[in-house]
Amino acid sequence: MITDNSKLVEATRGLRGITFPRVSLYGFLVLSVVSWAYIIFGVDSGLGDLFTGRSWSNAGHFFSQLLGLEGGLTGGGRPAFFDLGRWGETGKLAYKTLMMSVLAIGLAGFGVLVTFLPAARNVSNGELGGSPSLALGVLYHVLRLFFAFTRAVPELIWAMVIVFFLSPGILPGAIALGLHNYGIVGKLSAEVVENMDPGPARALRSAGAGNIQMLAYGIIPQAMPHFLTYLLYRWEVVIRTTVVVGFVSAGGLGQEFRLNLSFFQYTDVFLIILWYLILVLAVDLLSAFLRRMVLVR
Amino acid sequence: MTWTNSPFRSLDARRLLSLVLIGAFVWSLSSVDWRGGIVHTGGGDALKDFPLALFPPELSPGFLKLGLIASWQTVVHAVAGITLAIIIGLPLGIIASGSLGKPGRVRMLVAAVMRFILAFMRSIHELIWAVLFVAAFGLSSLAAVLAIAIPYAGILGRIYSELLNDVSEGPLDGLRSAGASPAGVLIYGRMPMVLTDLLSYGFYRFECAIRAAAIMSFVGIRGLGFEIQLSLHDLKFAEVWTLLLFLFGLVLLVDYWSTSVRRSLNS
Repeated sequence: MITDNSKLVEATRGLRGITFPRVSLYGFLVLSVVSWAYIIFGVDSGLGDLFTGRSWSNAGHFFSQLLGLEGGLTGGGRPAFFDLGRWGETGKLAYKTLMMSVLAIGLAGFGVLVTFLPAARNVSNGELGGSPSLALGVLYHVLRLFFAFTRAVPELIWAMVIVFFLSPGILPGAIALGLHNYGIVGKLSAEVVENMDPGPARALRSAGAGNIQMLAYGIIPQAMPHFLTYLLYRWEVVIRTTVVVGFVSAGGLGQEFRLNLSFFQYTDVFLIILWYLILVLAVDLLSAFLRRMVLVR
Repeated sequence: MTWTNSPFRSLDARRLLSLVLIGAFVWSLSSVDWRGGIVHTGGGDALKDFPLALFPPELSPGFLKLGLIASWQTVVHAVAGITLAIIIGLPLGIIASGSLGKPGRVRMLVAAVMRFILAFMRSIHELIWAVLFVAAFGLSSLAAVLAIAIPYAGILGRIYSELLNDVSEGPLDGLRSAGASPAGVLIYGRMPMVLTDLLSYGFYRFECAIRAAAIMSFVGIRGLGFEIQLSLHDLKFAEVWTLLLFLFGLVLLVDYWSTSVRRSLNS
């Protein structure tokens, strides 16, 4: 019998003895026990409610109202998702939501395109052309910090801040989504430049190419496909978040979702969830198709 | 440089795609309502005051203590959410990988159905799950934890099933020829081989769970997002900055932890 045990042994190696991952794992287990204890014994855990028949029958009512199986406070009537007119009205909002996601990705992409080069270490230290200077070094750190900060703050919190300045609509939502994704795509794109093959750029340099030519022929052609792929991937994530950002920025499906929920129009809520799933599916398919376009020449 | 090597040679797929994307962006700009100005009344002043409030942020001991407590509450929900996500995601992932049970149509069908369920779980954003749970069960920490756990279990389940399927068959054949059942192959073959990857991906998702827990403020769960919301409503921008920096620090810390764990697991 031939058994390749070495692979098994190798795979679990990191977890033997007192190693950092092992200590981390135990640390995390302790943290999770403490966290669960905090939540379960907390004032508003809701654990007690889980074992009462009332909260389950409430939940049952809620979900059957969502599906239009029983009339809610608004008193029966036809469920919104059997109403073509409602499909049309919410369809417009779905379109707005889609535009918000495109705008967000566009803003993030534009921002990244302008800033990703100085955020790559091998550009800022002059390895790929240009000449190193103190200003470039400072710019590198400032940009990396900015990427990390915009990335760390979730879209919804950006949206809460931005609605303080901008008129409600799809723009504040798009800016909030754009900021968060700017940090993510910016970091990834800068890393692409850092990890790329310096060969073409060096060859161009030795052939006497100027900085602009190096950029156009040595760097951009290598970085561009990665950049586009990241943007398309993020677009799939963004479309899932647009509805949530719409809660606060008052644009598209999100606002309607909130309004319907607070007026107990549950079949409308369900209709919006349907539109949301349609958007998610459509964007996933479209993005997969476009990403294949980037790969195949 | 000859013309054939020029990047402007032809309109190939990649350039076409770039043009399409730029077109879509411009098109999306047209759907913004530009009338009435993009900055609302009073927004201009806030726009000026907000960046200035960073110098300095609110640093009084009392507020720092509040920030720490809020960070702790966010961590608690994130940790509880991600552990529940792993507990749900692992068995679902194993089913979706189709590595349990006798090979055949039934197993394939069950795996396909499970993959669909996982896709559904992760396609709905955690906050929408939260809003639905709060509407159904009432506001509670558990609703928020469950809301984080469901989409994250969907993501983890999918990744776990892919990891379990991607192991090399050599050691598994060894186990099979020794007479191991599919469950035995899973427990003694597939699982040990992917264990580090499972942990490593779980840790990676932990960082995202921190952000997810922070926005649970929207359904009324206490934590950093909740305090940010309160300070914003009081127009105390210096406090907002302090809390944003707490969130930044927290994410950096978890990011550093998870990167170090993954690096030492994969080295």
